[in-house]
Amino acid sequence: MAAATMFKGNAPAGIYPPIAKLNPAADPRRMRRIIAEDPEWSLAVVPLLTNLCLQHIVKHFEERPILDELVPDQKAFVLEKLPPSLPLSVTANLISDEGYWKRCCEGRWGVSDVSEYSHSWKRMFFERHLENIIELFIPDVTDPRAVLDVVPLCQNYVRRLKISQLLPPIKEPPKFDEDDASDSASDVGNDRPSMDHFDFRILLDKLTNLEELQLVYGVKGCGMNFEWNLFEFTFRDCEFLAKALKSCKSLKVLRINQSKVDDEKCRKLLSYLLDHPSLLELDLSHNLIGDRGARAIGKLLNRSRLERLDIYDNQIRGSGAQALAHALSKNTSLLYLNLRLNRLGDEGGQAVAQALLKNGTLRNLNLGANELTEPTATAMSHALVQNSTLRSLNLSCNRLGVDGGKVLEEGMSHNSSLLECDIRLTDVGLESEYCIGKVLRTNQAKVRRKRTQAVAASR
Amino acid sequence: MQAENSAGPSVESENPEERITARRLRIAARNEAKKRQELEVDSQEKEDIEEEARTSQTQVEQSERRMVKLQTDGTELVTNILVAADARESKRRAALEEARRLRVEKLENEAKSSLEKFEEVTRKWTAATAKTIPQDLRDALNSQQQLCALLIENKNKLINELQQELKASDDRYVKDLKKQTEDVDIMIERMQEQITSLMKSYRQELDLIENSFDDERKTLLAGNKKKWEQQRKERGNKELEYLLQRMKQVEEHEVLLHRLRVEHAEEYNMIKTKLETDVQILEQQLQQMKATYQLNQEKLEYNIHVLQKHNEENIITRSQQKRKIRRQQDVLNNLKIKCANQEKQSHEENQLLTDDYKRAMQQYKDMQKKMRHFAAVDAKRFDEVWLMNEAEAKALVHRALEIDRLIHEQQLGLAWFPPSLPFMESSGPVQPRRQVQRTSRQVAAQVLSGMGRKGDTEAEREGSTVEGSESTGVDHKTVKRLLELLCDETGFLIESKLLKLLSSLEKDEQSFMKLDSIFSVSRMKLLHCLFSVLALQERDDSEDAAYWESMAKVISESKLKVWDALEAALKKYHTVLTERSKLLVDTEHLKQQNSELRMLLHQYQLKGIHCILMQGVNRHILFALCIVL
Repeated sequence: MAAATMFKGNAPAGIYPPIAKLNPAADPRRMRRIIAEDPEWSLAVVPLLTNLCLQHIVKHFEERPILDELVPDQKAFVLEKLPPSLPLSVTANLISDEGYWKRCCEGRWGVSDVSEYSHSWKRMFFERHLENIIELFIPDVTDPRAVLDVVPLCQNYVRRLKISQLLPPIKEPPKFDEDDASDSASDVGNDRPSMDHFDFRILLDKLTNLEELQLVYGVKGCGMNFEWNLFEFTFRDCEFLAKALKSCKSLKVLRINQSKVDDEKCRKLLSYLLDHPSLLELDLSHNLIGDRGARAIGKLLNRSRLERLDIYDNQIRGSGAQALAHALSKNTSLLYLNLRLNRLGDEGGQAVAQALLKNGTLRNLNLGANELTEPTATAMSHALVQNSTLRSLNLSCNRLGVDGGKVLEEGMSHNSSLLECDIRLTDVGLESEYCIGKVLRTNQAKVRRKRTQAVAASR
Repeated sequence: MQAENSAGPSVESENPEERITARRLRIAARNEAKKRQELEVDSQEKEDIEEEARTSQTQVEQSERRMVKLQTDGTELVTNILVAADARESKRRAALEEARRLRVEKLENEAKSSLEKFEEVTRKWTAATAKTIPQDLRDALNSQQQLCALLIENKNKLINELQQELKASDDRYVKDLKKQTEDVDIMIERMQEQITSLMKSYRQELDLIENSFDDERKTLLAGNKKKWEQQRKERGNKELEYLLQRMKQVEEHEVLLHRLRVEHAEEYNMIKTKLETDVQILEQQLQQMKATYQLNQEKLEYNIHVLQKHNEENIITRSQQKRKIRRQQDVLNNLKIKCANQEKQSHEENQLLTDDYKRAMQQYKDMQKKMRHFAAVDAKRFDEVWLMNEAEAKALVHRALEIDRLIHEQQLGLAWFPPSLPFMESSGPVQPRRQVQRTSRQVAAQVLSGMGRKGDTEAEREGSTVEGSESTGVDHKTVKRLLELLCDETGFLIESKLLKLLSSLEKDEQSFMKLDSIFSVSRMKLLHCLFSVLALQERDDSEDAAYWESMAKVISESKLKVWDALEAALKKYHTVLTERSKLLVDTEHLKQQNSELRMLLHQYQLKGIHCILMQGVNRHILFALCIVL
């Protein structure tokens, strides 16, 4: 069995050398009586009628797809012989064999990692197919039907869309300068041809199984053709996207990165996401969200089931952080919060630390590179004494100072739940760092012991 | 595999030996791969399973700790770059912000100053338009031009500065890009390093763990083997022992079994025969029972029929009886009525009868009186009859004696002696020689003394001894009781002195004395009467019988025998005599007949047949002779 499966892998390469097919007389295999490696090889000169029929089926599969009526081994034969170039409208809902889709994927994109697609080649094929179509969609040039035609074929298999670029319309507004483009794009929209991207409203409500959506409103690999308006997330785009998202009830993960999402767009977007039935993860990192956007996010926090929130690399300051902290103190679902590379300052840091006193669900908190100093360290140490759910805390790249380190060390000595605490580049002093590390190690050891005990008990 | 194929001998080769070697190599490679896989799986499994073992566990923990440390260290090393980049970025942002602030300030200042200058220029424009002298106008224009040039120069300067800043920031951007690419490279490098080091250390740790597991397994195996051996030996010994024991037991059991089998077989046979006979008997009984059952059934059926019939009859009879009962009830009612009538009637009758009774009593009393009277009369008549009969009897005796004397003297010729006849002298009825009239006192004494007293009252007894006590003996007990009752009841009649005196005497005597005194005191008529009744003596006929018997026996027994014999002889004599007289008559008659016949003979002799007649005559004669004889 093992031999057979192993052999199958290299069968197409070894058994059908193109030359041999062209010139059967010269094929030395004809001279042999047994070829152990080829399970279909037989001495019979005339091929079996079934084989002929199957070959015919393969040849005319496009016109007459006959598959489900066949017996299993014939089915396997046909599937193996089907070319990947068949139109999707024939194969999409008919063929579920992974081997065929694997060939399709490999034929199109070369070697790929199927593990990201829950080991389903078919899912991989359709997701990537759809992604390709959308990424190459040029508004007003490409017919929207190009997308809509694919939807009925792939709506059952697409669970995730990772769209790494969205092309703007080709028409260039020549009268604007580079500087004005960024300003005018947001406030002008009706009187002149828009810079809007692909309209997701036509797509998202049809993908009933979609769970994850990742968007970048920008052009990938533009090189020296860089222009600001290639990276424009217009207000209309935002509205369309928000409406589309609202219509997509199965969505669990939403990522909009590097798309210049500012306060207004963020508020618009989140206002449509309020009370979304399934959204669990929201990632708005690498954008331009400020305090008002943060306030909108805080509002969303307590009107959704969000478990994971990434808003790193934005422009949230103290007041926005306070709004977030207020929401956090009342929240009971959020497990992960990343505020790295914002501008919280001590004002926001303290607010977040105080929110930790009341919150009992948050496990991961990242406050790296937020211009925090000693007062935040003090508040955080208080929070650490009381909070027993937080597992990981990142305070790196903040100028906590030696005193802050000592205060934090004091707080850590009363904590028994924190497993990770990143205090690199915070100037806390070696001693505090060592002590905190020690506490962390004891906590980790405790958790490990518990885990082994649980494993032993389960056995 | 493909690499192997391409390097070594190929299965596609034309040389069969080469193909064979290629296949062998392939098989070997596969086996090796499989083995490796299995080993890995094994080791993993072992790691999982034997975690509880002490040394291995510690080893695993150690390894895990070490690996975690290594991992965290590596991650830290990698993320250090990230953190540094972050720090740089934040610094850059701060700097940018600062620069922007400065720039904005500068621009504002510039705008302000340029605005001032511009205003000055515009102000001067109005002044300049006011000027009419061309010289002045030229000067003013010149100055305006200078001012404008200054303004423009300032602006240009600012623009230049900004452009330089832009260039600098472009440079910085390029630098940053370079730096970032470097960072990314370093990161990748470090990641790779970490991966390799992690892999290496994982492998090492795995080896260590495996070794520790191996050691542990070996020690465990050795220990287990030792234990196993020991237990095996023990088990062998025990088994041998048990075997011997078992054999012994088997023999014993066999003997026992045999004995038991024989016994049981005998018992079984016995029981079997017994049971068979029982079965036969029971079958017979069953048959009998069946027969009886059938019989009984028939009987019962018959009985049922009969009973049904009976029942029907009974029903009929019951109805009849009911009817009868009703009728009887009617009758009963009638009878009740009748009974009531009867009762009334009988009551009346009763009344009548009581009246009758009273009359009868009266009559009875009269009758008694009459009876007494007649008794007296009877006694008198009796005496008279007696005397008459006696006289008659005496006459008869005399006659008998006379006859006897005659017989003796005449017939027998014997001398006759008259027998002594004392009674002949006496006349009248035989009188008892006691006094008939006794006093009641005497009677009482007699009664009391008759109860076993010997000779206390001989005086009173003298008179009464003759007649004996048998006359009153019948009533002795009752009389005595009567008397005793009397003396107890009438104690009030006895004087107290007498009682004292009597207390010393015997019981009978006491009672006697009491009675005596009582009688003396009262002499009651009733008592007298009572005793008179008691004393009223029936005539004694025993003497009479003897008297008459003696009279009858005047002729003794022997004499009677003689008389009988005499009578018999006389009777015989009489019969002989009567026969003689009869014969005499007969002979007389015959003689007469003979004479007659002779006369007839004489007549018949005349006739011829006298011979026949003769014969008849002879016969007659013979007959007559015979009779005579």
